[in-house]
Amino acid sequence: MNRPSTVLALIISAMRANRLLWGLIAGFALFPILTYTADLPFWNDIAMRIMLLGMAAMGLNLVLGYGGMVSFGHAAFIGIGAYCVGISQFYGLTNGWAHLAISILACGVAGLIIGYLALRTTGIYFIMITLAFAQMLFFLFVSLESFGGDDGMSIDRADFLLVDLYDPHRLYFLIWLCLSFVALALMLIVRSRFGVTLAAIKSNESRIEAMGLFPLRYKMTAYVISAVICGIAGTLFASWQEYVSPDIMHWTRSGELMIIIILGGLGTIAGPLVGAIVFLLLEEILPIMLGSIAPAYAENWMIIFGPLLIMVVLFGRGGLTGLLARWEKAGRTGTRHENRP
Amino acid sequence: MTITLILEQTFNGLQAGVTLFLVAAGLTLILGIMDFVFLAHGAQVMIGAYAAAAIAEASGNFYIGLILAIPVTFASGYLLEYLLIRHLYRRDHMEQVLATFGLILFFNELIRVGFGPAALYSDLPPSLSGFVEILPGTPYPVYRLGVIVAGLACALAIHLLVVHTRIGAMVRAGANNPEMTAALGINIKILFRFIFAVGACLAGIAGMLLGPLTSVQPGMGEPLLILSLVVIIIGGIGSVRGAFIAAIIVGLVDTLGRVFLPGLLRLVVDQSTADGAGPALASMLVYILMAAVLIFRPTGLFPAKG
Repeated sequence: MNRPSTVLALIISAMRANRLLWGLIAGFALFPILTYTADLPFWNDIAMRIMLLGMAAMGLNLVLGYGGMVSFGHAAFIGIGAYCVGISQFYGLTNGWAHLAISILACGVAGLIIGYLALRTTGIYFIMITLAFAQMLFFLFVSLESFGGDDGMSIDRADFLLVDLYDPHRLYFLIWLCLSFVALALMLIVRSRFGVTLAAIKSNESRIEAMGLFPLRYKMTAYVISAVICGIAGTLFASWQEYVSPDIMHWTRSGELMIIIILGGLGTIAGPLVGAIVFLLLEEILPIMLGSIAPAYAENWMIIFGPLLIMVVLFGRGGLTGLLARWEKAGRTGTRHENRP
Repeated sequence: MTITLILEQTFNGLQAGVTLFLVAAGLTLILGIMDFVFLAHGAQVMIGAYAAAAIAEASGNFYIGLILAIPVTFASGYLLEYLLIRHLYRRDHMEQVLATFGLILFFNELIRVGFGPAALYSDLPPSLSGFVEILPGTPYPVYRLGVIVAGLACALAIHLLVVHTRIGAMVRAGANNPEMTAALGINIKILFRFIFAVGACLAGIAGMLLGPLTSVQPGMGEPLLILSLVVIIIGGIGSVRGAFIAAIIVGLVDTLGRVFLPGLLRLVVDQSTADGAGPALASMLVYILMAAVLIFRPTGLFPAKG
């Protein structure tokens, strides 16, 4: 079954099934040309942030959207990934690939331990326990004075052998490459037997158990995979920021990841990326909009963003990808106008 | 000297514990009875602290600030439930997380716009700013002692309310089985709103009491919210008694751990390791406690649902 041509066919069919995602990824590949010709390097930075947060949110989405486990502590894995870079450099290890390998290992182990403890529970308990473990790691890094404590530590951009990351475009494409890899991997995971079982566990866990499978194993595996993806995002985040502090794993970041997923659409591969684009653009645009109405309050854009989130929850089902899908479906069947009230 | 220090820190731990209980008491009912993930409970702490500080500032009297802030927090909880929360009970947990996360952002920013980003400091009246001797030669701040007494009084009031009144019986029934309670003809909507407002009020009282001890600033309730989640997990969701015991345990473990753990470690390992690991371990202590409880009793020490 695993002949190369079959694998290739799988990849191609997976890519075909999600044109939105690959369109976006192609867009990110071409974006630097635009910013280069228009001389807006600042937007490159925003695009990198979008890709990094989008990647982390994609990882979380495997647990949240596909597995139905509401983890409120995934910022911890971003933090672990980032601190792996900082701590490795502290001890003189500068190779970026080694950092990446260490992060993957560390996040895998952390995901295994936290997942093992947290997955003993469900519902509200699970949400709060994942949050509490993330806070535990947050306070751990706050109190580790030798690694900067509260103030954090500055980082040199890692040395990725052939890739000199002080050239901003190289970092951009390293992030892009990792994003594409993660997207492809997730796509194959979701369409595999494992992914289908995970989705089945979400909708009826006891039935899957009755079929003789062990739901916990699937949930644990999904949890560890998502932790590792967040760790990869964190590793790159550290290189991008050239700095790491406990702030990177503040609990509000776990909230941000969740916002990104829900904005974009739960349980879709493209959703988190769409969500990240919208979230970070809102972060840029809302202060400008607010500033033009009431210049004194431009910094207080959250006063609009907060209620906006509540509106999304109250009225927006399925996020933006859901909206797009409904729109596309309506367009195809020609009922778009009939649906109007 | 050591006895003095231990006694002083135990009182500090108690004070942290009772304020933690005030936050956790309402939240455990909101989580347990309504099955609602309410992350903005920390904002109620902040609202209470700001209300008390602002009213005290305007009236020039600390006590008037405290007394008038109580109805303000009750009203804020009541209105919040009426305007938004009741529409979210039937939504799934993730949507509740998101909506209440939005509320946190909104309230923090609202306070920042209204009062400025800098912290407020409220002065204690002279009658509360002195020291008393709890043992001969062991002075302790009057105000902290007052916080302990006020917190214990609130805890007693909640206990009487929950165990000895008709409303309390409804609350307990609701925590055990909300559907059956509703089927018995109890107006669960009003009950929910009442619990929500009382919970907000208690969290507000915690904020008012903490105001003079810490800085009153946007986001001040969030560390308390997270610790009170730990308390609720340890105590068992929906159990007020569990919340009280767990809050005292967490308050004591956290406070005493931070002070004494580095010293205790020095007895076991060498100085430099102890100085490095001590504070790190101390800050993780309550979470380790929580993990231990989870391993042995996944539903907490006093689960409400039977």
